[in-house]
Amino acid sequence: MNAPGLHLSSAGSYPRIGDSPELQVLRRTIAALDKGERTTADLLEVQNEVTRHVIAEQVRAGLDLITDGLIRWYDPISHLAGKLDNIQIKGLVRFFDTNTYFRQPVFDGAPVKRGHLVAGEYSFARNALGHLPTPRGKAGKLGIKPVLTGPYTLGKFSLSENPGNGSSKTFAALEARVQAYAEILATEFEALSQAGAELIQVDEPAAIKYPNDWAIFESSLAPLVNARDKIIKSGRKLELALYVYFHDCAPLYEKLLALPVDVVGLDFTYSPKLLDTVASAGSQKALGLGLIDGRNTNLEDPAQVARQVERMLPKIKDQRAFLGPSSGLEYLPRHRAFAKLEILSKVRAQLEGRERR
Amino acid sequence: MSRQKFENLGVKLPLFPTTSVGSFPKPDYLAKARAEFNKKQISEKDLHDLERKATAFWIEEQEKLGIDVLVDGEMYRGDMVAYFAERLPGFSISGLVRSYGNRYYHKPVLSGEVEWRAPLTVEWWKYAQSLTKKPVKGMLTGGYTIMDWSFNEFYPDRRTAALALAKVVRQEVEALIVAGCKIVQIDEPALSVRPEELPIAIEAMELTTQGQNAYFITHACYGEFDKIYPGMLDLAVDNFDLEMSNSDLDLLELFRRHPFTKDISFGVVDVHSHRTDSAEVVRARIEQALTILPKEGVWVDPDCGLKTRTVAEAIEKLRACVTAAKSFRNE
Repeated sequence: MNAPGLHLSSAGSYPRIGDSPELQVLRRTIAALDKGERTTADLLEVQNEVTRHVIAEQVRAGLDLITDGLIRWYDPISHLAGKLDNIQIKGLVRFFDTNTYFRQPVFDGAPVKRGHLVAGEYSFARNALGHLPTPRGKAGKLGIKPVLTGPYTLGKFSLSENPGNGSSKTFAALEARVQAYAEILATEFEALSQAGAELIQVDEPAAIKYPNDWAIFESSLAPLVNARDKIIKSGRKLELALYVYFHDCAPLYEKLLALPVDVVGLDFTYSPKLLDTVASAGSQKALGLGLIDGRNTNLEDPAQVARQVERMLPKIKDQRAFLGPSSGLEYLPRHRAFAKLEILSKVRAQLEGRERR
Repeated sequence: MSRQKFENLGVKLPLFPTTSVGSFPKPDYLAKARAEFNKKQISEKDLHDLERKATAFWIEEQEKLGIDVLVDGEMYRGDMVAYFAERLPGFSISGLVRSYGNRYYHKPVLSGEVEWRAPLTVEWWKYAQSLTKKPVKGMLTGGYTIMDWSFNEFYPDRRTAALALAKVVRQEVEALIVAGCKIVQIDEPALSVRPEELPIAIEAMELTTQGQNAYFITHACYGEFDKIYPGMLDLAVDNFDLEMSNSDLDLLELFRRHPFTKDISFGVVDVHSHRTDSAEVVRARIEQALTILPKEGVWVDPDCGLKTRTVAEAIEKLRACVTAAKSFRNE
């Protein structure tokens, strides 16, 4: 099968440390910082170094579209919310069914953005990618995308402790928190576009877990879509990729495709029906095909994944899809995460091999 | 309370029995010894001796506090899943994965047919029970949670893995009962994370406890119970040990809508704060419980394991539970 529209893509995070001592430098540095033995400048230097390694690792695995691995993120919620004024970061809360935890933001008033959320990190990563030699056959095909946790997921996992707090606006209502995040993230779109981003991944795992809030989720996309459209009108290219995971999204497939986004990223590990749904209903949008389980160490058979891609790709508009893990890979040991990414290249080889036969 | 069951088991308990969820903080000397053992600076026997010393310390503290149903405090365990996975054939241990922030652990991998060959907790239970005349709970982790907190490279699906593990846990339950254990707690903290899988958790618990002559408790915490209640009441246990105070007793509203039909170990003190609530606050929580739950079925304990607190903090939290429970007995 000739599949020029099939891109091999990361889905977000990557393990920050590995098992060997040299791969644990970030862990050691954070521990030393906590004891006052290292400085934040030391930490930044190590984060930069680990980010460079993680980018190189993704390129070595044969990916086309990579991320910075979210190496600097404490968790998917507080990394963004914690940079806003009037938001306090409080105790640990379990993150979906991952048995990992995030620190919960609590609104103290209207959140205010002082600087960029991830645009600086994105610029660093883009620069780091630019310094790597281009692998054979990848000229003009290698890209890097920024990742943001979406406004609905951020708002759903935040609280408001002082609903009054002397200000006219309260954030006790989910809708108010979500909308506040949406407006802030929209301004980050402009910063990311200025930094060179042509596709921004927005993660909204909570949207499919709590479908009763769909109207709130849907309206939170409006500021992001407006920001994207404004950027496009100014002559730049920008796509909005919505990624959902950690729950069965098959029942919401049609609703997801109806959203005003350019790409919809799907987690196939929670639903045996999703593959059939996509293969039969098709898609008028590009899809993220999360066929590689980002939560389990078991390695997929590339031939089987290739067959799955073959069933779906012809039904997707322009046969444009992003094959990748079902979620970020930070839930796996480092060497296993790399092995998962290597499968993607093997799948592509399978597809091309069949075509030659 | 399943008073009849206790009578049959020969266990006598007062109204509002007090207990704890399982883990206690390790005394400094033990925490240090564990680190030294990992660096191969002390022998396994040295470590074991200190684990026994710490277990004896906690049994004595619980006795002094007047707790009714004791635990061994899990001085010999690190993680509630890894402890079992490290000892069961069929498991291997993965590379490091992140728990949160800068904390990492070796997550277990189901890499073959899991088997129970010998008791895993019985010697510790026997030792703890030998130090007291009060009942000591057998403390296990349930098949569903062990499955959910492990990578699965062997079983075809999550249900098959959970049921295989449930059978293994059953064998450990049998060994505890043969040793004389009358009260067994089987923790299922993953119970509520995938509400659609509640039937699997129920099937697994059924496999573990069905036909076994003991009083069974399960502990679950920090989840979306509104999504699994009242269905979770079908879990084959006598008592649910639930984190109540951390969620401002929100669960009582669910119990109001649909009667809670089991005994409950009612978590009355938060385990994440350094501070212990006043006796009045703890009493008020029990009073609220009694507006909905029959007093015969209410046990009193902290929200969750106390291993993240200091020894002094843990003792204060336990004392708050005992003081409050006793004040109701006298009324």
